[in-house]
Amino acid sequence: MDRTGQTAADSPEMAGRREAVLAHLVAAGYLRREPPILQPASIFLDLAGEDIRGRLYLTSDSAGAEYCLRPEYTIPACRTYLASPDAGRPASLSYLGPVFRFRQGAPAEFHQAGLESFGRTDREAADAEVMTLALEAAEQALARPLCVRIGDAGLFTRLLETLDLPPVWLRRIRRGHALGQPIAKILDREDNASTADHSGVLAALAGADRNGARALVQDLLSIAGISSVGGRSANEIAERYLEQASAQAGGGVSAQKRAILENFLKISGDPDKASRALRKLAKDAKLDLSAALDGFESRLNFIAARGFDMSRLVFSAAFARNLDYYTGFVFEAFENADDMRAIVGGGRYDRLMTTLGASVEIPAVGAAIWCDRLLDKGGK
Amino acid sequence: MSTLVLAVPSKGRLQENANAFFARAGLDVVRGRGSRDYRGTLAGLEGVEIAFLSASEIVSQLAAGTAHMGVTGEDLVRETLPDADAKVEMLTPLGFGHANVVVAVPQAWIDVRNMTDLEDVAAAYRARRSERMRVATKYVNLTRRFFAEQGVTDYRIVESLGATEGAPAAGQAELIVDITTTGATLAANALKVLDDGIMLRSEANLVASVTADWNERARNLARLILGRIAAEEEARTTRQLQAVIGGDRGRIVAEAQKMFEARTPFGTAKDGPLTLVVPKKKVADLADWLISRGADHVSVAQLDYVFQAKNELFDRLAARIG
Repeated sequence: MDRTGQTAADSPEMAGRREAVLAHLVAAGYLRREPPILQPASIFLDLAGEDIRGRLYLTSDSAGAEYCLRPEYTIPACRTYLASPDAGRPASLSYLGPVFRFRQGAPAEFHQAGLESFGRTDREAADAEVMTLALEAAEQALARPLCVRIGDAGLFTRLLETLDLPPVWLRRIRRGHALGQPIAKILDREDNASTADHSGVLAALAGADRNGARALVQDLLSIAGISSVGGRSANEIAERYLEQASAQAGGGVSAQKRAILENFLKISGDPDKASRALRKLAKDAKLDLSAALDGFESRLNFIAARGFDMSRLVFSAAFARNLDYYTGFVFEAFENADDMRAIVGGGRYDRLMTTLGASVEIPAVGAAIWCDRLLDKGGK
Repeated sequence: MSTLVLAVPSKGRLQENANAFFARAGLDVVRGRGSRDYRGTLAGLEGVEIAFLSASEIVSQLAAGTAHMGVTGEDLVRETLPDADAKVEMLTPLGFGHANVVVAVPQAWIDVRNMTDLEDVAAAYRARRSERMRVATKYVNLTRRFFAEQGVTDYRIVESLGATEGAPAAGQAELIVDITTTGATLAANALKVLDDGIMLRSEANLVASVTADWNERARNLARLILGRIAAEEEARTTRQLQAVIGGDRGRIVAEAQKMFEARTPFGTAKDGPLTLVVPKKKVADLADWLISRGADHVSVAQLDYVFQAKNELFDRLAARIG
């Protein structure tokens, strides 16, 4: 199909709506700053993985460097900010323009508006401001309220830290959770078929220390006459064997920790009630989540202080999926509770700036509004 | 003006095999003015133009509809066309150009046997280095699809247009996805194929374009060409048996059908020898069985061509082009 055609999103009415969204953000002090459309492709591939390649519009220059048309605004906005003299200082900015993504059955070029707040250390206040502004802007353009779901990646990350899980399980839980798998599926997975094949090695390694394991792997390689170890060191291979050996020796996730994880991820509903449930869970399990929970409650207070109707918020502990990208607050707004397509989405990503080359961590929170979804009821 | 364009590989083993394949079907590829000309004809079939192209160019021309049929590897079709089944029809595998597209890792990774291991190792690699593991390949799309199916996400593709197997040793990538026939090149580069790392078992295929201009004349030419190919294939894969045998022929034929997939295209007349057509592999078993059932004499012949009113290759094409 031709993905460049005129659509309803290009009508003067839709253009008016997205201009109104931007005007609302600018009036709140978020000055418009447009990053370039053409971006280095590698940044998006590094951060989002190869899966995004199929949705990017790629091009290359005569030197072979790969570029893409921006598929979203956050990363380009961060890059522009980092390249500016303001880098490191608090900055509030907004944007409105086309982004480019291959979408099944929908035009590849569509508009997004949004806002970013960089460098503010009063994180919970900034979270509340960004969410309420984005929602106000979208809801004014639509002239009706949306359903809002909130979560907190910081809470889950903190829970995983305090549970003190073996690294292999910590990694698997983070990854499985990002893929939307329930804890049971992640923890009960059939372990590597090769574990069985390598049971001799694993038995030999049970109880061995790192140096012993590395020496064994090096011996195995030299006996087999294999010299070059592309990419991974003998050390890494040894460590993986040790992880597997300890997992086999019962160093997995205890039934108690598993129950804590499952109960945690089940908590959802009214945010204040959820907060009490989270505190109880932490207390019963003797886990120190107090700093993360204080932040969570303080954020709710800031949201309420902005006059936002708190009964509209639905919390879900399992909602914060991508713990590599989001570090704290996350939210999405939908037409109705069982709609899968977010009209507004955003969150906190305090690690993104260092990934993009900043020398120190710069707090960052932002939200994007899908302007092509700002339709009248009934999809018009 | 030609009405049917048949695209064939312009060089190498693939070309020799393709020419031999057409020749067996009685279709002689004639290259105009020596080996440098990029256009040719099929001897005795007016209106057919042969286009000599690179294997990947053949795929794009089939997809664009500028060639009606072509000979190319399934690997290239699946890699180049995201919606291959909508644009082309794989008419028949040709029995040459066998190669597998595989995932290969350094032999030194003795703890990595399968894709589940790879997924685990890729995640650990990223957690440790905050970089993704690099996969060198020219099969960008196939790799992405296969890795996604296997749940491997922590990797980056490094596009490689030649000597991919050298990428890990050169430090350009940690592992590769490449095509291999015997695995010898991989082994020589200290790489091994993962147990479940075969992404695609590819061979040369006769591929038809769904989007080409299939006018009446093009269809008739395709029917002729495919009829001859089918006739040769049928002859090559079957044998004709003649047996002098008495007894209840009806029953013998029914049992032979059931046990050996034998057919009786010439009927089961009571007099004279009984003629059976049977898949090549079953010919000796059937002959033994016939003798055990009282046959005095069984002769087996390989035929040059078996033309049939039912042209399965063309029917498959016709079903797609409407």
